[in-house]
Amino acid sequence: MNTSLLVWIILAPLIGSILNAGFYFYHIKKEKVSDLTFSIIGTVTPLISFLITLSLFLRMNDEGITFKQDLFTWLAVDKLHIGMSLLGDNLSIFMSMFVTFVGWLIHIYAIGYMKGDNGFGKFFAYFNLFLASMLILVLADNPIILFIGWEGVGVCSYLLIKFYYGKAENVIAANKAFIVNRVGDFGFILGVITLFFALGEVNLSFSSIESNIANASSELLVLSGVLLFIGAMGKSAQIPLYVWLPDAMAGPTPISALIHAATMVTAGVYMVARFHFLYSGIEEIGLLIAYIGAFSALLAAIIATKQTDIKKILAYSTMSQLGYMFIAVGLGFYSTGLFHVFTHAFFKAMLFMCAGGVILAVHHRQNIFDIAKHRAQTPIIKFTFLIGVIAISGVPFFSGFFSKDAILAAAFQEGEYLIWGIALFTAFLTAFYMFRLYFIVFVAPTKHEVKYEYTSMTITIPLLLLAIGAVAAGYLNLPVILGGEHLVDTWLAQLKSTPIHMSHSTEWILMILSVAVATSGIFVAYKKYAKFDIYHPEEETGLVGKKFYIDELYDYLFVKSTKKLSTFIDKVIDDKIIDGFIMNSSNTFINIGKKISISQNANVRFYAAFMMLGMTCIFIYLYIKLGL
Amino acid sequence: MISLTTYAFVAMMLFSLGVIGVIARRNIFVIYMSIEMMLNGVNLFLVTFARYHFNMDPQVITVMVIAIAAAEAAIFLSVIILLYRSRKSLDTDVFNILKQGENS
Amino acid sequence: MSPDILSFIIFLPALVAFALMVTTKDVNTIRNIAFLTTMIILALVLKIYIEFIPSEGMQFVTNVPWIETYGINYYVGLDGFSLTILMMIAILIPTSYLLLWEGRTKGYWLNMLLVQTGVTGTLLSLDIVLFYFFWEVMLLPVFLMIGSYGFGNKVFTTIKVTVYTMVGSLLMFIAILYLGVAYHNEFGVWSFAYNELMKITTIEYSTKIWLFLGFLAAFAIKIPIFPLHTWIMETYKNAPTGAVFLLSSIMAKLGVYAIVRFMIPIFPEVYIEFSSYFVAIGLFGLIYFGIAALMQDDIKRMFAYSSASHLSFIAAGIFSLNEYGINGALYLIIAHAIATGALFLLVGLIHEETGIKSIKDLGGIAKQAPILTFIFAIMLFANVGLPGTNGFVSELLIIFGIYEFNHTLGYISALTVVVGASYMLWMFQRAILQDRPEGSATLVMRDLKIKEIIGLAPWVFLVFLMGIYPEIFMNKFEPTVTHYLNDILQIGASK
Repeated sequence: MNTSLLVWIILAPLIGSILNAGFYFYHIKKEKVSDLTFSIIGTVTPLISFLITLSLFLRMNDEGITFKQDLFTWLAVDKLHIGMSLLGDNLSIFMSMFVTFVGWLIHIYAIGYMKGDNGFGKFFAYFNLFLASMLILVLADNPIILFIGWEGVGVCSYLLIKFYYGKAENVIAANKAFIVNRVGDFGFILGVITLFFALGEVNLSFSSIESNIANASSELLVLSGVLLFIGAMGKSAQIPLYVWLPDAMAGPTPISALIHAATMVTAGVYMVARFHFLYSGIEEIGLLIAYIGAFSALLAAIIATKQTDIKKILAYSTMSQLGYMFIAVGLGFYSTGLFHVFTHAFFKAMLFMCAGGVILAVHHRQNIFDIAKHRAQTPIIKFTFLIGVIAISGVPFFSGFFSKDAILAAAFQEGEYLIWGIALFTAFLTAFYMFRLYFIVFVAPTKHEVKYEYTSMTITIPLLLLAIGAVAAGYLNLPVILGGEHLVDTWLAQLKSTPIHMSHSTEWILMILSVAVATSGIFVAYKKYAKFDIYHPEEETGLVGKKFYIDELYDYLFVKSTKKLSTFIDKVIDDKIIDGFIMNSSNTFINIGKKISISQNANVRFYAAFMMLGMTCIFIYLYIKLGL
Repeated sequence: MISLTTYAFVAMMLFSLGVIGVIARRNIFVIYMSIEMMLNGVNLFLVTFARYHFNMDPQVITVMVIAIAAAEAAIFLSVIILLYRSRKSLDTDVFNILKQGENS
Repeated sequence: MSPDILSFIIFLPALVAFALMVTTKDVNTIRNIAFLTTMIILALVLKIYIEFIPSEGMQFVTNVPWIETYGINYYVGLDGFSLTILMMIAILIPTSYLLLWEGRTKGYWLNMLLVQTGVTGTLLSLDIVLFYFFWEVMLLPVFLMIGSYGFGNKVFTTIKVTVYTMVGSLLMFIAILYLGVAYHNEFGVWSFAYNELMKITTIEYSTKIWLFLGFLAAFAIKIPIFPLHTWIMETYKNAPTGAVFLLSSIMAKLGVYAIVRFMIPIFPEVYIEFSSYFVAIGLFGLIYFGIAALMQDDIKRMFAYSSASHLSFIAAGIFSLNEYGINGALYLIIAHAIATGALFLLVGLIHEETGIKSIKDLGGIAKQAPILTFIFAIMLFANVGLPGTNGFVSELLIIFGIYEFNHTLGYISALTVVVGASYMLWMFQRAILQDRPEGSATLVMRDLKIKEIIGLAPWVFLVFLMGIYPEIFMNKFEPTVTHYLNDILQIGASK
């Protein structure tokens, strides 16, 4: 049914962003605007979005309806009719709920984290803009409007990563993020266009695409599926377009928490789920997606075991968990994958926020060994961090266990044993490197005197709230064998995901296996790192430590070669060949002129002689012609 | 009777000598005299044809040419005096300021 | 409203320029009056925009005999295509005045006025000889501006650009004459109006190709299309900001417009036959110029390449034979004019304030001039085609169009998404954002003054309005494009 509330979910943070931007310009030009103003505008607007989403959710839960809002015709050319339409169905409200809630909490966190920074107002302006873009993305009713949000989050990510732009490497990281994302967007746009023409130029709203999908030839559907997924690869940091995510950690921690953990990177998963009707029909591509997810998860986990920067470890773990999500949606288990998105948002945002809290407490160090050397006592952060690490490792009773386990079960059920094996091994590695991180930062013995460091409430309260979520969120989709009701799966029934249907004994065995794997990972990490000598720290060396030299490879293959090509075009083709041709032709004229001008020697007798010659020729001509 | 061809031949000789004189001699006066010789050669042609075709029109032209030659003499000689004053030389090759090439 | 409003719009700047030339000597008076003139024209154009009815054909027409013996009339008129470009010119020029406000000489302003006459006249002419007249007229003041107020090797640059453009124009003129004679031979009277010349049927196909190429030479040089683009390097580098702005934002677009107005209706079969080549060359130019822009060190040269890249893309859109492509190309004309125009003006400002043009030597501007950086960033992202800006809508439509024309070329055309971003962001990083290398002095750069902000604010507003609600602009010219395309394809099919 139609509602006019949907647009306000997007407009609230958008207006907040514009207000903050205006105040920020006033702040730098005329007089100071207090941080409080920025904070209030910045945090009230996500709250408004969340409350609206919540009210819609409750109505949908009671009455079983979905919401739509058609704002205006965006573009109408020939047969391409795109409306600025918003769709509030179960999937989008589901996404919107945790995006706005986690977003709101991170905005509160940012008040404490960014305190005292000159660009405080600018930060909140960008942050609200990001939230607005993400909401456009999830609430859009057709892929072009989705793309507006898609690129919007990309540009906000760019703006925020380069927040401290004075230093070149931050801007370079931002450029890398944007450009790699753009490669993905190239694929996405082509996917949408292919789909449009394959369907015979129909209306592009999602419901219309879904109903017309039978008309398209399967080759074209496969092609669009692949192209759309290329977009997801870029946005969600899967192989081969993942290289921007670790570098994106150059931005302030709140954005790592929100953008690169909970929201933007999950846009790819959302997109595949939204196009479920397309991917369910092209199962080979789904399998490809699942394999890419599996290998990305594995690669990221391997690299993470040797990383020493706290945020980079978390970045790789994000990439790894995203891989899990893609395994699920690739194999057709859309609600399972989205369930993992949901739980991951809570514990990953929380982990990043803890990392930020720790970084602040030890006065801006990010190497885990340095942090340990200067460790401060931060009890709440330590507690919530532990909860997060346990959740991500897949320990029972915490949310990560339920969602990850469901994915493993899904892979096993489909008979994709290789994927299942990779996922299981990666779970081992996940537990290992996350607890490595925990032990080194918080547990390993340090000679430093550990003093209590106060962390402001704006940091600790969101952490605690998220910790509750990190534990409780799992219970929303409890599998039947444990007495639960599959709430998330039921809510997302529109996606027609494959249900997890296996004999109870198989399910129990799988569950026990994953618990065993997680526990052994924790155990190995404990043995190695709980009493680690932090004064002989690990370096990032070796093949794994150097991230398999992939960054260097990309640099060589793409960046350097394009630069060489550019110089070649400029100096050789343009200057020498084409322009050379032009200049040569003009020089030829000049030279001919010079040769002719030799006859202009100002010598009277010479001129007279020529005149005679000329006249003689004329007379001869006349004589012949006129037959005299 | 002396044929027309003979007179024509003489006139041709006069004219050609005049041309050669204009082209090959450097002294301005000589060039002038050669020009006059060319004019006389043309006059001879005209008068010959008048005589041999019993027509008065070429004779009229001859008288015009003589008058014009006289006017031309006046101007020519004045210009020679001016040129001599500016460059102190009667050699035509000296007057080459308008030359294209190294100078401009 | 009297139909002569178009003539008034065309000739007012020139008349004002001549009046000013003989009356005052004071720069400020001249500048103020010139600015006032452009604002008056803006008001008139807005009036026309509101009164324009999208689904009828030519409106506001004036058709008066000029050189009767040869059937050359003073024939001006407006349709959907010219209207959009006219709006664009009318909005762009006053703002450019605001950004060029200080420190110019009388001649600068007078030349700007004259260019406006030339440009508007070219746009509105429907008689091909009148068009040629204005085409040459618009070039002369630019020639003067570059030669007198340029930098570096300005005299050589002026001569190069003028001769290069003139060679093209001459080839076009030969084609015009041939057409005129052919018309006369067929119909017994002389006429050079575009809708009359469309009716010629006696020209052989191979001759048509030559004529087409003759016309194309002139326009391809102006746009520019590979490989006739090498004049822009020197020109954009050495020309004064006003001239660069006019060349890139306005005159290049007129090349595209002229293709649409004259070339395609007169030679529809040739257009249809050769469209794939031209789309391919357009796309090639897009990528070629985009890559070349990457390693440029002179910031104006880099923007020259970037501008050429987008203009090639526009040309590719025009040649794609379908509504998406042509509508997209028109929209990109406007979007590109605004974004690239603003960027050129801002870069010119930076150059004048700091004296530096090399990207290596620039840096740290963002800290000192936040508002300039903000507007620069917005225009940069509009150029790159960020959704929410007009650049995206236009590029999207063109990609749709080229894809419908040919799937493979469509895939290549989407590369604009990646190519544009790379060199722009890298330049932005080095020239504006990051601090200058350790040890070198901080660059002193002022932020934008109020009048400059007021001048640019409507552009920023337009960028977003056109990106968020494109339909209100599209519906003014979309019907024209539909009619136009139907006519062309019909005529082309029947011949």
